[in-house]
Amino acid sequence: MASSYSNYTNSPCAACKFLRRRCTSDCVFAPYFPPEEPTKFANVHRIFGASNVSKILHEVAPHQREDTVNSLAYEAEARLKDPVYGCVGAISVLQRQVLKLQRELEETNADIMRYASSLGSETTSTYGRHRS
Amino acid sequence: MGGPGSSSPCASCKLLRRRCAKDCIFAPYFPPDDPHKFAIVHKVFGASNVSKMLQELPVHQRADAVNSLVFEANARVRDPVYGCVGAISYLQNQVSQLQMQLAVAQAEILCIQMQHEQPLQSHHQVLELDQEDKALLLNSNNINNCNNDNNNLGYAMSSGQFNSNFASPSSIMQMQMQMQMQDPLKQESLWT
Repeated sequence: MASSYSNYTNSPCAACKFLRRRCTSDCVFAPYFPPEEPTKFANVHRIFGASNVSKILHEVAPHQREDTVNSLAYEAEARLKDPVYGCVGAISVLQRQVLKLQRELEETNADIMRYASSLGSETTSTYGRHRS
Repeated sequence: MGGPGSSSPCASCKLLRRRCAKDCIFAPYFPPDDPHKFAIVHKVFGASNVSKMLQELPVHQRADAVNSLVFEANARVRDPVYGCVGAISYLQNQVSQLQMQLAVAQAEILCIQMQHEQPLQSHHQVLELDQEDKALLLNSNNINNCNNDNNNLGYAMSSGQFNSNFASPSSIMQMQMQMQMQDPLKQESLWT
């Protein structure tokens, strides 16, 4: 009773402020949605919904909830910036970058092999001339 | 939905147990033969949110939007903590590693070229290098040691030039949240 009263006198978390409800001492959102970051919860609620976020948080271990919230916030922000692809757009760009770098690395390694083999043939021919 | 030739309700309306109207926003993208697709999107995002998102998009972009939502939803179900941010983190690590390997390989070529050119020619060669190669040479203080372990050059080039993308996804998310969302290629500017 005393703890919930003290929470009632403290500022409610961003989630409870947004949802216009009492922020209780066991509010699942409170540790991760401080009142000074209202946009974070607003974005997550808009994309995922408070109820789905609550379910996800209850599914993960408490020590993982902060990372979970941060990844949800990241995805929500990405989806708001790019309503068609969200953060899948970034994945697509990175995959193309990986393929491009792999190709460049193969070509460069092939060049090294060519240099190494031409170096080997130069050394042999030089040694041969000395011997003769 | 009435009529003698009425088709089967879409996967969404089946799951939500409602009448599938002719103008159902979900119907074109959630056919009845793939119930899992809508189920997973509904689980992560909620039907109401998906409907709002689709309504805000022009029709020709909705199929792509649905596919990306399905992808994200699948990723979130597989990894409830990181979702597809985990994939982003993994790919960024891969890009960093490949960039380092490429830098080492390119430095190796430079070493080989410089060792086997005539002194006069090799100087000329250096002057003809492009900006990227010059940056490599300027940043590497171990040109004379390129006969040694290549890791020296690799380390010289990598120190201070790459983000530490081997950190956990949580720290990467903190970095990324400060970066432009549309420009994940920004890390390449490290070379300039």
